[in-house]
Amino acid sequence: MGNFKAVGSRLLQLALVLWAVVTILFLMFRLMPGNPMAAYIDPTFTLEQQQQLMAQFGLDKPLWQQYLIYLGNLLQGNLGQSFRYRVPVGERIFELLPNTLILTFSSLIIAYVFGILAGAYLAWKRGSWVEQAAIPMVLTTRAMPEFWLGMVLLAIFSFSLGWFPAGGTRNPGNEYSGLLDLYTSRDFLAHLALPAATLAIYSQGLPLLLMRSNMLDVMKEDFVTMARIKGLSNWTVVVRHAARNALLPVMTSFAIAVGYQLQGNVVVESVFSWPGLGRELVNAVAASDYPLAQGAFLMIALVVIFMNLLADLLYAFLDPRISHA
Amino acid sequence: MTEPLLSVRDLRVSYQVGRNFVHAVDGASFDVPRGSITGLVGESGCGKTTVARALTRVIAENATISGGQIMFDGKDLAKIPEKEMNALRWRDIAFVPQSAMNSLDPVYTVEYQLGEVLRRRGGMNRKQARARSEELFEMVGIDRGRLADYPHQFSGGMRQRVAIALALALDPKLIIADEPVTALDVIVQRQILDQLKELQTRLGISVILVTHDISVVAYICDRTVVMYAGKVAESGTMHQTLTAPSHPYSMGLRNAFPDLQGAASGVLTPIEGAPPNLANPPAGCRFKPRCPFALDICGSEPPVIDVAPGHPVLCHRAKESASLRIEAAKTETWMAPA
Amino acid sequence: MPEIAVQKPIGIKRPNILARLFRALRLPTNDPFAVAGLLIYLIFIVTAIFADSIATHDPTEILYTPAYDLAADLRPGQDGFIMGTTSLGRDIFSQLVYGSRSALLIGVTAAFMVALIGSIIGLVAGYFGKWVDAVLMRLADIAFGIPFLPFVIVLAAFLKPSIWNVVIAMALVLWRDTARVIRSQVLTLRTRGYVEAARVAGSSDFKIILRHIAPNILPLSFLYGSIAIGWAILTEASISFLGFGDPDSISWGYMLQDAFASQALAKQAFYWFVPPGICIILVVSAGFFITRGYENILFPKLGR
Repeated sequence: MGNFKAVGSRLLQLALVLWAVVTILFLMFRLMPGNPMAAYIDPTFTLEQQQQLMAQFGLDKPLWQQYLIYLGNLLQGNLGQSFRYRVPVGERIFELLPNTLILTFSSLIIAYVFGILAGAYLAWKRGSWVEQAAIPMVLTTRAMPEFWLGMVLLAIFSFSLGWFPAGGTRNPGNEYSGLLDLYTSRDFLAHLALPAATLAIYSQGLPLLLMRSNMLDVMKEDFVTMARIKGLSNWTVVVRHAARNALLPVMTSFAIAVGYQLQGNVVVESVFSWPGLGRELVNAVAASDYPLAQGAFLMIALVVIFMNLLADLLYAFLDPRISHA
Repeated sequence: MTEPLLSVRDLRVSYQVGRNFVHAVDGASFDVPRGSITGLVGESGCGKTTVARALTRVIAENATISGGQIMFDGKDLAKIPEKEMNALRWRDIAFVPQSAMNSLDPVYTVEYQLGEVLRRRGGMNRKQARARSEELFEMVGIDRGRLADYPHQFSGGMRQRVAIALALALDPKLIIADEPVTALDVIVQRQILDQLKELQTRLGISVILVTHDISVVAYICDRTVVMYAGKVAESGTMHQTLTAPSHPYSMGLRNAFPDLQGAASGVLTPIEGAPPNLANPPAGCRFKPRCPFALDICGSEPPVIDVAPGHPVLCHRAKESASLRIEAAKTETWMAPA
Repeated sequence: MPEIAVQKPIGIKRPNILARLFRALRLPTNDPFAVAGLLIYLIFIVTAIFADSIATHDPTEILYTPAYDLAADLRPGQDGFIMGTTSLGRDIFSQLVYGSRSALLIGVTAAFMVALIGSIIGLVAGYFGKWVDAVLMRLADIAFGIPFLPFVIVLAAFLKPSIWNVVIAMALVLWRDTARVIRSQVLTLRTRGYVEAARVAGSSDFKIILRHIAPNILPLSFLYGSIAIGWAILTEASISFLGFGDPDSISWGYMLQDAFASQALAKQAFYWFVPPGICIILVVSAGFFITRGYENILFPKLGR
């Protein structure tokens, strides 16, 4: 019964965070100095035309009214109209979201598979020269600006060696019947390789270090010693008992990493001209396309918040001490 | 008399700490007869847990068995190859840990953990393992419906029963119980000990019970091995060592504990001082600094003297033990250590 | 029952303020990587302070070769330009040297603000508990729901692009991590014997916090501060790279943006875009190494 209460208060917290982020977003985009329409009002427009345009976007009303309209629209899933593209923001965002998600998940899955294995291995080899050399190297990958790593990979593997294309999701001229068709094409995978590698190299450090330190802790636990006294094989001891326990927090960190990666995508997508949410946000901000920037921001925030929730739930689900309380 | 199940001779275990070696067990010898409960007793840090773990050869990474013999059923456990040792683990020698909470894997059900041992170590199939698990739970008095529960869902006493069931799983010849009831309250302690005694008698297994609590020894043990500072001070039957202790340390221990029945037999008198630092032990008898009966001769290595058949004592004054016992019964003897 | 702590709180005697501070900070001087990190910090600080004398040119000046041609896209060593020049004829080496200035400025100020705000919020939440704690921790939840980099981008773009706005944007979000950790530390400190004793003896809350709690969380604040240095430098680099940086200051991120926009990748001008990246890595990983040395001191179980 305590469980229901916990879930209830967690959901309440989620609602509060959502409302707060939405409000902060509104204030951020409305209280900015200058007329938000300035970039899109042609100096040749008459005052009347300008006011008409303002009215069209609801910018002539008092702030609190704008806020209510904004909340109402959001509840209906209406994110407004892009200044620049003159299409509904939602439409544009859902066009780009799959690209971002594919990049995020492919790179993170690679990073986690590698990080977990390497982390467990380094825990096993603790004190050896391999570990002594590996840890500073891993810390160094965490210290790299992601976009710089992307630039270096691009300069080497695309511009110098010509192995991979330099940007975008497909070669110009190639047409695909649908998303699935595109995502399974060699063309797309070749475009995905470098940005995914960039993000994966950057992201593997977190699961690796986490897995390693958890393993080191778990290996000292009594139940691991007991497993040895039971005469179980080394594999059973290390994998079924030590790694299984060490994995718990690493798995939950995956959800948090997704939310986090989405923010890192902002720069990496820009380097590789990857048509995703992050690059769109940057472009929209640069072009003062407020509705689109706001929508992209909101979408990223939604994924971040949702992933934080998922991390909590995942932990509760994976840890019997919580799920079987 | 039949040959003992386990016969430890001159066992040495040392820990490497930095560049120094600490001899946690420094020449321990004792026997464990078949079908008995042998209490391994002493203050914390005396090496009793290290002895217990050395018998399984699963010891800390910085520890090594640096000498001696562990004759178990005709094999020297200190010498046999790791593979042969591993085959013995749990099938012949099982272990009941101090805290079952930490010794059971939190992410698996109890049934899984029983099944793991039964299948991987006992060669059973799923069905046999299930049947055996139910049988084991019945033996230790837990409802079989609780097999599917996780360790954290049991109470402390119940968890300790689970640990006993786990130890019994493969019908071992020897069970080493390391402070199996220390973390429990007195009533539960007695229940668990009764159960252990009952199962031990019924199944005819041998048990080594490691404890700091002499009342636990008095309650269920047949034999006692008293350890002090890495050495065996005295060993013999429970009556020899507790009713008529011959080593001053055993005499002191007896005064320092109430019995498990709760009957406070007079005043409790602690032994003043602390056990020596094993990185740098005192020369001669290690109990000398705390011993009220120490003489100059105690500065030299004490001999092992058999005060009765099967009752060796590590003390220069072992032969005078009858008169020392009378002195030791007085509280004031322990007030001002020499 | 409250545990009676024998341990004395740090900072009850006051010999000399600097010695006290050093002891309270517990600098990790016996970990070789941490020492290397401190050394890297030292080198960059010196470079930043003496940038004017170290740099060979004005980093923003458009330069010409002795033959009066625009000194554009020169390779390292050509015409005396140590690391070559940019496409607009600016000296890369000098830009690199001046870049250390903005990196350290932004790193130190952002870290200071993050550690300060985070520590104060964590302290107040942990010490006063009840509704104060509830409100502050909900604020932290909200901050955790804000995507960090997009937030900084939007703020930096809408406010005037300047180093300070990037710092403010970072401080507005990143205090959350520090605050949570400090709070839980304060919660355990609050139950210590000497804090209880001080409260029973009638010390004011302010005095208890200042005397008994703050000195004990200082190392933790410092730890999170040093993590924030790396974060701040990386964030500033990203912001500048995306073109929302301070146009008036030369930073490594700006250099990378300049190189990227000037087709340095296609031109294979590694001498242009590799060094700023290396500098960022050095400074940020120096922070990590120091942090790690710290963790080994503060949480010894994590160590080998």
